[in-house]
Amino acid sequence: MIELLARTVTMGTPLLYGSLSEVYAERSGVMNTAIEGIFLMGAWAGFVAAYQSGGNLAIGLLAAMLAGLLTAALYGWICIYLKQHQIVTGTAINILALGICAFFQRVIFGVPVTPLIVQPLQPIALPLLSEIPVIGPILFNQNILTYALFLLVPLANFVLFKASLGLSIRSIGENPEAGDVAGIRVDRLRFLTILFAGVMCGVGGAFYSIGYLGMFTITIIGGRGWIAFAICFLGNWKPLGVLAGTLVFGFAEAVAILMQSRGAGLFPNELFIALPYILTIVLTVSRRSFNVPATLGVPYRKEG
Amino acid sequence: MSAAPFVELRHISKYFAKVIANHDVSMQIRKGEVLALLGENGAGKSTIMKVLYGLYRAEEGQILVDGQAQAIHSPKDAMALGIAMIQQHFALVQAHTVTENIILGLVRGRYDIRRYDRIVAELAAKHGFAIEPTATVGDLPVGVQQKVEILKALYQNAQLLIMDEPTAVLTPQESDLLMDFVKQNTRAGRAVVFITHKLREVMEVADHIVVMRGGRVVGDLRKAETNELELSRLMVGKEIHDRTYVEDVVHDSRPVGLELQNVSMRDPKEDVFRIQNVTFQVRQGEILGIAGVSGNGQSALCDAITGYRPVTAGRILLNGQNITDRSVRERIRLGLGYVPSDRQRYGLILSMQLTENMFLKRSFENTWVRRGLIDARKLAAYTTEQIHAYDVRATGPDATARSLSGGNQQKVVLAREVDMGSQVIVFDQPTRGLDLGATDHIHRTILNEKKKGKAIVLISAELSEIFGLSDRIAVIYKGEIVGIYRNRDLNTEKIGLLMAGYTLEGGAAYEQQD
Amino acid sequence: MSSKTRDLLLTNVLAVAAGLTASGLLLLFLGANPLVTMGTLFGSLFRDSYTFADIFVKATPLMFTALAFGLPFQANLYNIGAQGQFYIGSITAVGLSLLLQGRMPGLLALAIVALVSFLLGGLWGGMIGWLKARFNANEFLVSMMSTYVALNLMNYLLRTFLMESKAEYPQTNPLAQAVWLPIVVPGTRLHVGFILGVLACVSVWVLLYKTALGFRIRAVGSNKDAAELAGINYKRLYVVTFFIAGALAALGGFTEVNGVQHMLVQGFNPGVGAAGIGIAILANGNPLGMIFAAILFGALNVGGTIMGQLSGIPSSINELMLGFVMVFVILAYYVREKLEDRREKARLKKAASL
Repeated sequence: MIELLARTVTMGTPLLYGSLSEVYAERSGVMNTAIEGIFLMGAWAGFVAAYQSGGNLAIGLLAAMLAGLLTAALYGWICIYLKQHQIVTGTAINILALGICAFFQRVIFGVPVTPLIVQPLQPIALPLLSEIPVIGPILFNQNILTYALFLLVPLANFVLFKASLGLSIRSIGENPEAGDVAGIRVDRLRFLTILFAGVMCGVGGAFYSIGYLGMFTITIIGGRGWIAFAICFLGNWKPLGVLAGTLVFGFAEAVAILMQSRGAGLFPNELFIALPYILTIVLTVSRRSFNVPATLGVPYRKEG
Repeated sequence: MSAAPFVELRHISKYFAKVIANHDVSMQIRKGEVLALLGENGAGKSTIMKVLYGLYRAEEGQILVDGQAQAIHSPKDAMALGIAMIQQHFALVQAHTVTENIILGLVRGRYDIRRYDRIVAELAAKHGFAIEPTATVGDLPVGVQQKVEILKALYQNAQLLIMDEPTAVLTPQESDLLMDFVKQNTRAGRAVVFITHKLREVMEVADHIVVMRGGRVVGDLRKAETNELELSRLMVGKEIHDRTYVEDVVHDSRPVGLELQNVSMRDPKEDVFRIQNVTFQVRQGEILGIAGVSGNGQSALCDAITGYRPVTAGRILLNGQNITDRSVRERIRLGLGYVPSDRQRYGLILSMQLTENMFLKRSFENTWVRRGLIDARKLAAYTTEQIHAYDVRATGPDATARSLSGGNQQKVVLAREVDMGSQVIVFDQPTRGLDLGATDHIHRTILNEKKKGKAIVLISAELSEIFGLSDRIAVIYKGEIVGIYRNRDLNTEKIGLLMAGYTLEGGAAYEQQD
Repeated sequence: MSSKTRDLLLTNVLAVAAGLTASGLLLLFLGANPLVTMGTLFGSLFRDSYTFADIFVKATPLMFTALAFGLPFQANLYNIGAQGQFYIGSITAVGLSLLLQGRMPGLLALAIVALVSFLLGGLWGGMIGWLKARFNANEFLVSMMSTYVALNLMNYLLRTFLMESKAEYPQTNPLAQAVWLPIVVPGTRLHVGFILGVLACVSVWVLLYKTALGFRIRAVGSNKDAAELAGINYKRLYVVTFFIAGALAALGGFTEVNGVQHMLVQGFNPGVGAAGIGIAILANGNPLGMIFAAILFGALNVGGTIMGQLSGIPSSINELMLGFVMVFVILAYYVREKLEDRREKARLKKAASL
């Protein structure tokens, strides 16, 4: 059980990177529908950089952040500055990301004879803290990406609700005209928020390749970027809400992995693989959106 | 009154994608006085002030502040020069508190909301506004939201306050209070620009008057040197008179077209009643005017009558038939027409052609549908006919609704609803935002439909319209009907009191019993 | 031709060209000469009737999935679940075909299989519409997730009930020839499914633009509030629209199973849903345009495969081309908007100076 909960925190980590950034993006009024593609770019870039540098994960992470940033910049440019449709653009970028990762994987590595592996992030047991009964092994025997979240989540919460940056972001998502009048450069702030989302989602994607599995396949993300997207919605656009959400989904995934390795017998493997997705559907249906930012998805067009 | 102008506009021109909004507009604004910018809807008054405020970029011309030419590219630039504007649609974040709205863009880094709450409370008290800094703006009545906007400008030390049609959302008494505030403001040495189309307000509050028509300045005078007649002539190019009501004694023998009995509607989310215990009758061939400041339940009333939202109590009868549980579609079929106040959102589909908009409420019948397919030619012919009958300026029946001006869009909605509403028609703010020509046309149409024997409900915040057309007048306040009177038994003062929630002392009021 | 239509065709053609150019440039990384490779692509398409006909074979499922996204799009709904609905159709088609084959005349079996696939796909899709109507569920997320659920369902079935008799691989037995869709052009793989696809596109076009129901769908998509006030029950339309969309995608699955693969294997046609979205956008939402856009992508698909065979270009070139073309088509939208704006302003300045 303890191991299950520990794994929950681990599996929830990339989802939290994604959904936390999605909270910021959507609060500013922009849906990051390229999230799946950005996760993939992060996973791939992280892997390639790490592999090519002989296993240097720090370089891998930097590459992942850069890849996420650039992909998000393209998305942001088209949706925010060119005012094009967010869902259509996101879909296009997701497809393009798939093509680019698969293509350049081939360009760089050809058709590998043996699978390419990188030593993934190892959990670091924090001295003293990891010895606390029960919560010690759950919370304090994780890798550094998870530890980073211990700081990021409260910081994100603070900035969003107690700092002027957060006030500005929330305001332009509700009424961009009000922000405009107050002197906030709406498009620019939205773009910066999307860039932030790109970096975070890049890290989230890299988690799968160099943080956990140690390899890259084109299906490595498998829709989990979308689950992070859904969690933002389910967490009511609040950092603490998505924290809860990621734990729920992290748990579902941890259970799925456990059941698969055990050979569940009664229930087919596929049911467990499908569990997070079914869960998303059920929760999406039952949650009536309370805090939807009023202008979510609508590009800001100024008159005159 | 200072000699040199605070702000001067020189030869400003502004074009839009569809219309020339301002052509060669020049004027001077001085501190310590009120400038009334007068003109009918569409004359270009809002536009020129938006240029000054930095919301629009002028194609030609100059802006000078304190004698210096300035480039104002955004409201932030304008505010830095001391120019603030309170627009018709408030630039407020409804979901945030008063304080959060006021400090938006003006704080850096971490802020202590409670400290700012205190500052806002002090500022509000100083100017005599009763505002709770921690209140959520969206919960505040429109009149108070306006005060929040004003407070925001004062917080930033605005020297020029531009107000765009501020009394549109106020009762007559609240309007008076606002005008007192305006005069106080100028006495304190600031400047105010008051944009309006109401002559009475101009004569009451202005020192200096600029009249605009068709995007141009057609008059620049001191109030002391002019009168209403001259102003109205400048505004329209001809004399206008408010429509005078011709009394029509409605016989009690005429059948009741529309009746509401104790109708209440509860808002499921907020747990308040949007309308409560609304009871009235409208006879065939009668116009019942419903007066009230917008936001007092008018949209709930329309929702109830059209069936758009269900009622929680009461009955609605159309020609004696109980339609309380009938769907929107059934009520349309029974002859209910509805001209909504927000024509672009509820009345038309802007991206669709005029033919399609005409078809909108008839898609279930076989007027233009044969064997499942739409008879495009017949529909186009009908639409063309209506375009001519209502003098709609459009390139043809296949023009998109978006390509029409506001007045013409309203005519299209009117044409359709007059046709659909064979028994009862509800008009909600039918002439809002329209110029006098279109307004007059719509009034004539309404009277025409009355003559045809239809039961007509006219909801309006424009008192001249209410008094000009209604046989009987009901006043709605906070979701309740506070009285129903014959037209001749009411005047502006009395109706103002009713709109503000007061009841009239006995004797002066007459309530229509059935 | 109005200036708007001219703009549309011109900018989209340029967008496609730009997308292909961008993909071509990436070929440089493989040491391939883009001009030569692209030339090979286009030339190879016409090398024989089999290859040429294959363009239309590849286009067939794309038409269905494009409609599956495009129709709800008219109602301002986002159906990202066409891939899953396609799978549901495939599962139904293969399962039912295996059951019915040999027990009745082939054509009758085909008709029944087509109908049942249509219905089950409709139910699968319609459920999404129902969830939206009843609970205001975000159909974008629900439809997206439903694809993964359908995928796992398919994998499960392929491993168990539908598994081949040999029990070696997760795939079904091959279908008997009696339940293969008849070939339209002998010597090729071009089957009746293509004609079904074209008919589907035409039908949806007629539905949307010529019928009252289609009008109501578009009205709800353009302005739900005004439509509701006009007495249109948008909730019912959500269900109907998603039903039709799911049914069409499922029909696409049927055409692929009974027309091309003649069996069901794991992970077949994995990109057909996403490609459908791209095609719907390229066609600007017009079902007739989708026929041509699907054929274009069919051609790119065939060419891409040939490129892979001849020059060793990886199959991901297909996603690259699709992705780049989509991005450029979106940019083309932007360009058209700006052109229209500029035209309006010029018209106005002219009117002012008169």
